[in-house]
Amino acid sequence: MESRLRIFLLIAALAVLPGCATVRHWFHHDHQAAPDTTEVDDDNAPPPRVVDPDIPRRKITVPKIRSRNVEVGLNYGVISIEDFGTHPSYGLTAAYHITEDFFFQAEVGRSRAGNTSFETLSGISLLTDSERRFTYYDLSLGYNFLPGESFIGRGHAFTSAFYLIGGIGGTDFAGDTKFTVNFGAGYRIVPTDWLAVHITVQDRVFQTDLFGTNKLTNNLEARIGTTFFF
Amino acid sequence: MLRRAHQLALAGLLLLAALLTPTVSAAREYLQLFVTQPYLELHTGPGRGYPVFHVVPRDASVDVLFRRTDWFKVRTEQGVEGWASQTDMQKTVLADGSQFKFDLGDRAGFTNHRYEMGIFAGQYGGATLVSGYASFSFNSQLALEASAGQFLGKFSNGEIADIGFAHVFAPESRWSPFVTIGLGLVHTEPKATLVEAPNRTEQSAYVGGGVRFYLTRRFFLRAEYKAHYIFTKRNENEDADEWKAGFAFFF
Repeated sequence: MESRLRIFLLIAALAVLPGCATVRHWFHHDHQAAPDTTEVDDDNAPPPRVVDPDIPRRKITVPKIRSRNVEVGLNYGVISIEDFGTHPSYGLTAAYHITEDFFFQAEVGRSRAGNTSFETLSGISLLTDSERRFTYYDLSLGYNFLPGESFIGRGHAFTSAFYLIGGIGGTDFAGDTKFTVNFGAGYRIVPTDWLAVHITVQDRVFQTDLFGTNKLTNNLEARIGTTFFF
Repeated sequence: MLRRAHQLALAGLLLLAALLTPTVSAAREYLQLFVTQPYLELHTGPGRGYPVFHVVPRDASVDVLFRRTDWFKVRTEQGVEGWASQTDMQKTVLADGSQFKFDLGDRAGFTNHRYEMGIFAGQYGGATLVSGYASFSFNSQLALEASAGQFLGKFSNGEIADIGFAHVFAPESRWSPFVTIGLGLVHTEPKATLVEAPNRTEQSAYVGGGVRFYLTRRFFLRAEYKAHYIFTKRNENEDADEWKAGFAFFF
């Protein structure tokens, strides 16, 4: 009796369980039915998405790169003012590096002329005190060549370069302003990224009629300077 | 003179101190770039003539510290600092894989740039003229220009300064003409050897035109003419012609 009841229950369970297994299918079927109908309606609709991505895009901000092409500095040296002796000079320079080869430079400098040999011998003064002030200013173009490294001892090397420079400007001297052409060469040592040391020799040429006849004067200047890069 | 030199030295030291301060306190965020070519060469200085002393391997990154002309000062992950050329830097990528793009200073820059500067030699009312100019471009065609110059003549010396607008036609072509219009000031100092005449400063206006010709890299030639009308206090206004030619660069 007992075993007959057990068989009956087992048969009932076997009959019901496969049906239960299809429960999941029923829901699934209902879910799939909906997109099927839309696909029939519109063939161009995008395929159903399995996962909806909701990730915020990372925005990369690019830091601005600083340009350090400007070089500003001070210099001190001597200038030989034709007929008026050699005297100390000091000045300011500002340069803009356009390419690795070329730079553009503005400079202003000042010196004080001494006595001509005629003045020394005769005791007559040709110029007043303010007229002896020698001020030059110019705009020039420089060309870097012979780049290289300069070694100090075994362990230290500084980048360096020779440069040629030439330009036009004016000179205030002896109560007049003269159109002046300058040309020269220099040597630049760059110990750090922001500092440079220059040694420059430049000739400043202008015409003057101070002594009656018109003549071309050469005023050679040798100087040492320190510049800072910005 | 000695006192002057001392003052100058002191000013120099102060400038040095002022310059050192930002260098020490600088804690900037640098641009990080990744090497995609087999290696990135680092030079000791910002120029092709300086030797290569280090290479950064592919996929390694560098921080860009600053730029000087066409060279970038970079620092590797190991802390090695050196100079990489513009051509090599074009092959590096940003963290998101996009190409590193920057202002190249080529023909495209000539057409479209922000600033330009230049120097000229020429004639102003018969006197020798030396002048310089700077300009700010609003777009590839319209720019605001300021120029200053000195003229040195037989009868008078002086300075001119003016500000105005320039309009460039066909900025994309190598030869690009332009027209200018603006206002200015003229300071004239008659030479003392003539009849004693006082120095004078007068207002002026000008119209002009010229042409610019792209040379190479960041350089171009520029030649221009300006017709100045000087508003004097005398019975008649004056005219002065200005002809000048020179070279300029953009950045």
